[in-house]
Amino acid sequence: MTIHLKIWRQKDKNSPGKLVDYTVDDANPDMSFLELLDWLNERLMNEGREPVEFDHDCREGICGSCNLVLNGMAHGPMQGTAVCQLHMRKYKDGDTIVVEPWRAKAFPMIKDLVVDRSAFDRIMAAGGYISVNTGAPADANAIPVDKYNADQAFDYAACIGCGACVAACPNSSASLFTGAKISQLAHLPQGDPERNRRVVNMVDQMAEEGFGDCSNYAECEAVCPAEISITSIAKMRREYFNALSEIE
Amino acid sequence: MSKAATFLNSQVGRKIATGVTGFGLVLFIIVHLLGNLAYFAGAEAINTYSHTLHQLGPLLWIVRLGLLAFFLYHAWLGVSIWLERRRARPEKYEVYASRGGASRQSWSSSSMVLTGILLFLFVITHLNTFAFHDFATITYGGVEMHDVHARLTEVFLQPLYTVYYVVIMVLLGMHLRHGVWSAFQSLGWMSRKTNPIIYSIAFVLALIIAIGFIGLPLSIYFQLV
Repeated sequence: MTIHLKIWRQKDKNSPGKLVDYTVDDANPDMSFLELLDWLNERLMNEGREPVEFDHDCREGICGSCNLVLNGMAHGPMQGTAVCQLHMRKYKDGDTIVVEPWRAKAFPMIKDLVVDRSAFDRIMAAGGYISVNTGAPADANAIPVDKYNADQAFDYAACIGCGACVAACPNSSASLFTGAKISQLAHLPQGDPERNRRVVNMVDQMAEEGFGDCSNYAECEAVCPAEISITSIAKMRREYFNALSEIE
Repeated sequence: MSKAATFLNSQVGRKIATGVTGFGLVLFIIVHLLGNLAYFAGAEAINTYSHTLHQLGPLLWIVRLGLLAFFLYHAWLGVSIWLERRRARPEKYEVYASRGGASRQSWSSSSMVLTGILLFLFVITHLNTFAFHDFATITYGGVEMHDVHARLTEVFLQPLYTVYYVVIMVLLGMHLRHGVWSAFQSLGWMSRKTNPIIYSIAFVLALIIAIGFIGLPLSIYFQLV
């Protein structure tokens, strides 16, 4: 199959970028989208041209490394799917796909389709951790967690931190990511000592990094490869309100 | 910073404040709508209703000032959130599309700042047309009161004003379609189960309010009452 690509090329943060046209005329429907880019890059390198830089790692939808906006949608058109798990059979022969990086002030450009997502690491460092005793490992299941809370925590823990929520949000808000992390820990006894400080510090850090406000568009939930619900954002708001009432 | 200042400066606090003020304004709108319906019960009913409200004295002023504060704060928060988005994404996408599905992006949610600004301007003209108007008086059982009924009839017999009012009420309905649902989410009153229910209730409420407000001017204009 023939696929026309319009790929964002940008040398570095300070150079202007633009969409560049490429055509792959022997794409295989069983290729993943990233394999299509590999195929294109091999051609470019053989021709002595510079390959397209893009982030990837596990290619099985669980690491959160891949981050492409295809035709205006973060991770492409399929629900609950990271772009590495999107296959060319989803497209028709002759389709044109516009490929862009995550765009947000808090995710500065590195090169082409690669952006710096360390803002998420700093949000995690602000409170996304728990205190544990050092020494010999504790027995498994020593702290009971009931089924409801275990399920809730697990659903929120599914967040892979890819940043699609920010990329798709018209406001570039990181509320879904931060909400998922806060909600996950708020459902567990582990980390309870840090509970109040956690939500206040993580919410502060989110603003500090330059992410925008949430307007409840819920576009984040629609593009999330882990299908995290915006109820995590509602939970984060309850946690924040309670935390401020309790903190001295 | 005090706790209140920390709260109101945070992204979460701003959102909760938008929801609380929004709920307050919706409550006022519902009371206002019920008041308007008194017109259908006749001139004496609506004039007496208006007169009774004015008898409340200081209480009425407390409510008025509270409303004004809510209205201005709500508008300021909305505009500042909108301005913030431009700063948070300096370079726009060449192509942008909604995925659909769980997304609540719609004509309603995408135009909140625009419908909000138009409603803000409308309220100024609306106060000028009614609240600050020098009403004629009418006497019922020896009590002199404003003839609100006559003013309403006079205003809504003008085609231009009636069209303007109807259009604005459609925009109000659009604003509330996203706004009411959004306020629940902003206040954290949302679970996976209640999400679709509240989204539907918000639509019905917005529809009832818009139709309710449109009913009166159209009835007057077409002389159905």
